[in-house]
Amino acid sequence: MKQGTLSSVQMATVVALRVLIGWHFLYEGLSKLTAPSWSAKGFLLQSRGPLAEVFRWMAADPEVLEIVNQLNMWGITLIGLGLILGCFTRLASAAGILVILLFYLCNPPFVGYFYSIPTEGSYLIVNKNLVELAALAVILVTGSGRAAGLDRIVHRLLGKRDRPSRGATSSGRA
Amino acid sequence: MAKDDEKDQDGGPGKGLGKKLDRRDVLLGLSTVPALGLFGQAWRKQRQYEQVQKEAASVDEAAAPTDVSEINVAILGSGAQGQVLLDSMLKIPGLRFRAVCDIWKEYNQKRAVRILKKYKFDVNGYEDYREMLDKEKDLDAVIIATPDFWHAPHTVDCLEAGLHVYCEKEMSNTLEGARSMVLAARKSGKLLQIGHQRRSHPRYLHAHDKLLQEAQILGRIVTVNGQWNRSVSPDLGWPARYAIPDARLRQYGFKSMAQYRNWRWYKGLGGGPIVDLGSHQIDIFNWFLGANPSHVMASGGLDYHDPATHEWYDTVMTVYEFETARGKARAYYQTQTTNGSLGYFENFMGDQGTLVISESEAANSGYVYRDPNAPAWDEWVQRGYITAPELQETVRTDEDAVLDVRESVSPDQHTIPVVLRDPYHQPHLQNFFDAIRGTATLNCPAEIGYETAVTVLKVNEAIEANERLSFRPEEFEV
Repeated sequence: MKQGTLSSVQMATVVALRVLIGWHFLYEGLSKLTAPSWSAKGFLLQSRGPLAEVFRWMAADPEVLEIVNQLNMWGITLIGLGLILGCFTRLASAAGILVILLFYLCNPPFVGYFYSIPTEGSYLIVNKNLVELAALAVILVTGSGRAAGLDRIVHRLLGKRDRPSRGATSSGRA
Repeated sequence: MAKDDEKDQDGGPGKGLGKKLDRRDVLLGLSTVPALGLFGQAWRKQRQYEQVQKEAASVDEAAAPTDVSEINVAILGSGAQGQVLLDSMLKIPGLRFRAVCDIWKEYNQKRAVRILKKYKFDVNGYEDYREMLDKEKDLDAVIIATPDFWHAPHTVDCLEAGLHVYCEKEMSNTLEGARSMVLAARKSGKLLQIGHQRRSHPRYLHAHDKLLQEAQILGRIVTVNGQWNRSVSPDLGWPARYAIPDARLRQYGFKSMAQYRNWRWYKGLGGGPIVDLGSHQIDIFNWFLGANPSHVMASGGLDYHDPATHEWYDTVMTVYEFETARGKARAYYQTQTTNGSLGYFENFMGDQGTLVISESEAANSGYVYRDPNAPAWDEWVQRGYITAPELQETVRTDEDAVLDVRESVSPDQHTIPVVLRDPYHQPHLQNFFDAIRGTATLNCPAEIGYETAVTVLKVNEAIEANERLSFRPEEFEV
């Protein structure tokens, strides 16, 4: 096995990770979409940390809030679909990272912050958001959609070249 | 293998652009689609449960039958409570209002008649109920909402005149009066419903029938707690030009206009807050525990209000003991009229869970909490009897309120998904009219009202005696 290329088993675990995260996103998105009155308002309002003012500003303006809500619901749903199906995998994982980063920054589990929406675990700076974010980074750099996912078919049909940034595999070919 | 891996991950080195798909590409390309299928299945199942819960939450609103036989109704007592009942009844189809009787002709009676005429009812107003019973010959039912000390004579006479009676609680301010009502109902064969309206409230029926009887969700109930706290409110006044002449007041048992307006505070007329408020909820103690109490002790007094205009205890704390089918239970109840915090609710605690229920839709309307040691409640969630456990979130009213709020977590709070969108008294009145038409049985017939009257009136006795009193089982029977 060349350095930088994953074995089938390694790739299979990455794909499994991708599908699980996708599942989580898809359900989060769909349950918000189907809830009649879901809003990010409460979550945004109790923001702490360096960006708290920004998040509270989003919650305070009804028009901004509506955009945030729509982007959130649809974004999460589409990211979930993309990850499960391996479709536009890199775009989906990059978007996922951005979304989770926002969640993390909105309510960071920093020392000395207490939240009225309780969490189900105990966190010190690192919480599950951050772990999921890191897992998405793995998905992003391994491009698993081209191994097992619709990206493989799209890629084949459109015959796009690999991007140079893909590292060892590409350079091995160069 | 390594070659395959490489090809899988980047399309294969050296392969031409737009190369045709091979079978391996298609298989691997679609390999995660089944996960979406699995998701779809799980999602559907989840949605089904949510649907069941939603359906359980919506009160059965049977389409109003269009061919109901009309019931001729009279209102006896059209003061504040009579008005509440009238507002509810105006939403019930199949009623024809014929008469309004109230001694305050200048005000209460006039108002009720005017409202009913606006609704195109041809109603007559009466001051004396005997005159009404003499003249109105085609009445079927009467709604009695007079001061407590009038309940017994009004009810007995109306039953004897052949009318079905809905009588507000407290059934009577004396046990003799309440007993005469039970006997009159039996003798006349007419229906007598007592206005403990929670007995017909869909959330209470759900809690009793589904949660306590069927699911036995609380396990063995050992302690009960209830309260109705009210803020201080000024005595009721009246417009001077509408004052009732003294002679008429005396004729109907009142010493003055002030006493007439505030009769609930006077001994011999009403039963005090423990009766006005406590009776509704102590009735639920008996109902949910499936037993009448064996003992009562109580502490109370006129601690705050002016004794010149208040005779009854404004503050009462009482403890009942029950011998239920599953063992001993103790129930605490308090009512005061100095601070309205936390309003009114009843709270049943068993060895497997806690039920908090209130008639109020505003707060504390209905929750159950699962004890960590209790068996899982998944089945009851799936059937829609209770919602999935919720995290308790703070109600956010404004930004500043949020910042320093720390809520303790109670991960096992479930909501009782039943809300009443009609006026609180409407289901109980509907039950009464359905019973007249023969399509339902009374939810609070005279016998049950009597048991509650015995239970509640004993509190005032215990306060006066300043000792623990016992109930004999036969006391609850007529």
